[in-house]
Amino acid sequence: MADAIAVRNLTKVYGGALKDRVPAVDNISFTVAQGEVFGFIGPNGAGKTTTIKILLGLLFPTSGEAEVLGKPAGDIETKRRISYLPESPYFYEHMTGAEVIDFYCRLFRMGAAERKAKTQELLERVGLAEDGHRTLRQYSKGMLQRIGIAQALINDPDLLFLDEPTSGLDPIAHKDITELIASLGRQGKTVFLSSHQLGDVETVCDRVAIINRGKIVKIGTLDDLLRAGRTVITFAKAGSELVEQVKPYAERVSADGELVRVYVESEENVHSVLDAARGKATLVSVLPQRQTLEDLFVEIVREVRK
Amino acid sequence: MIIWSIAKTTVGDALRKKVLQIFLVVAIGLIIISLSFSQTLSFSSRAGSSTDIMLVKSFGLGLMAVAAWLISLVMGVSLIPQEIERRTIYTILAKPVKRYEFIVGKYLGAVLTLAINVAIMGVVFIAVCVFKAMGAEQPIAPEETGLPIVGMQQVGLFDWNMVWGVIMIFLQFTVLTSVVLLFSVFLTPTVNFFMGLGVYIIGVMAPLTETLSSKESQLHPVLKAFYRVIHTVVPNFDKFNVTNTLLHPETHIESMAKYTGIVTLYALFYSLLMMLLAIIIFRKKEV
Repeated sequence: MADAIAVRNLTKVYGGALKDRVPAVDNISFTVAQGEVFGFIGPNGAGKTTTIKILLGLLFPTSGEAEVLGKPAGDIETKRRISYLPESPYFYEHMTGAEVIDFYCRLFRMGAAERKAKTQELLERVGLAEDGHRTLRQYSKGMLQRIGIAQALINDPDLLFLDEPTSGLDPIAHKDITELIASLGRQGKTVFLSSHQLGDVETVCDRVAIINRGKIVKIGTLDDLLRAGRTVITFAKAGSELVEQVKPYAERVSADGELVRVYVESEENVHSVLDAARGKATLVSVLPQRQTLEDLFVEIVREVRK
Repeated sequence: MIIWSIAKTTVGDALRKKVLQIFLVVAIGLIIISLSFSQTLSFSSRAGSSTDIMLVKSFGLGLMAVAAWLISLVMGVSLIPQEIERRTIYTILAKPVKRYEFIVGKYLGAVLTLAINVAIMGVVFIAVCVFKAMGAEQPIAPEETGLPIVGMQQVGLFDWNMVWGVIMIFLQFTVLTSVVLLFSVFLTPTVNFFMGLGVYIIGVMAPLTETLSSKESQLHPVLKAFYRVIHTVVPNFDKFNVTNTLLHPETHIESMAKYTGIVTLYALFYSLLMMLLAIIIFRKKEV
């Protein structure tokens, strides 16, 4: 199966004075398979939105190639099969929620009956069925984001570009939209998700690319990227003698009332700690902790800055 | 369908702009106030006479032109930049919308907005003219002919020339709108405003640039060529300025309908040319 997105040696340098010309995107290459939920993360100004805009044909690359669903980025026929939710979307405020959806339906040349049914269906799907008659001026940020999601689902797209879809939302709206993205993934849709909400990315994405200063610094599945972290072993009734005994194997040892927690980095040391504690304390739990995407992100960005 | 949808949205958006509403309301207010000019202005002392009507017509047409000029300029300069600034353009161009459809839709929306505004002002203006003409009289043998006045007659209530005048104002500013639409593809609204203003002033002075570039002109050939280029490239807004002709029967155009037809074709041709250029530039425009 062809890739949903294929980017090869893509570079984008914005115009301006020659001395100010720093590539916003610097010779990046990656692919996104069909049906994949792909996370695209990076600090502000890393080149995320520029990459998305090139893939949508809103910007043109300085060099390199970008293909979407097998066609060059910006192909008008391909746009029938893709959709885009920009960061903090803005729509015409004088229109009602239903009118906005109807307007976007018209851009797909839908007939009146189809538009009416689609508008109703989408307003229900994003939880705005009761508010469709209100003008967007009366909508909260969360409601506007829901309208944004609704317009992105009009054409039942094969590929969705979502730029910060949960930015600034309250916890309920946040949860709803994260669940929606996950459900799109389950339906076999390809999702290209750019977000600062690393917890969301970790929850819903199959693969992640980290971009910093225009370059992709890491790409892979979450299992590949996130190394197994430390293990936390908790004992009860552990004496000071045991604490001293396990210290050489531990990264850190902490006492909390009756409980002693031993933080261990390697599997070998886990066994050594457990052997040392045998018969000297009560074992409460052994919890392996995986590195989080946030840990990895911070580590990489700090490393690059150094 | 797409062009029409974009046009309708543009109209809805523009009609809600407070600044455009203010231009319209002030213009309508002043047109209505002009009813009392004969009582207040010393140079027109014959209340209810044909002179007063001419004053109201002249003032009304001039005022409508100024209001339409402001509306087309203020609305036109932000047609494209505002869509980019508000990010509405992203969701539209990410859909299967061709870039030319977007430009044509925006222009059509702007022209419709202008038409609505000019039509509202025009209706009020013509109503004011009709009201003013009620009971007004004019000399049967006008003074300009040198013949003695043999009596007075009732002034006609409805003057078709005023309708032509309103149409001319509309046509004139569809052309200016097309010029600022072209500029709005690559200029910021402020720069565009002054560029549009400059183009309009030069366009109104078309007879002057024509004289300066004529064979009889005493200017240096390079300057003559320069004025020739200016005269050719900048739209001739003077063509639309028919107020004097409409108000003074002795200078009237043989067939106003025919003249309007020719000017309509000119406006159409120029607007299409501007739109074509805008489409060519917008094809490669990064948003």
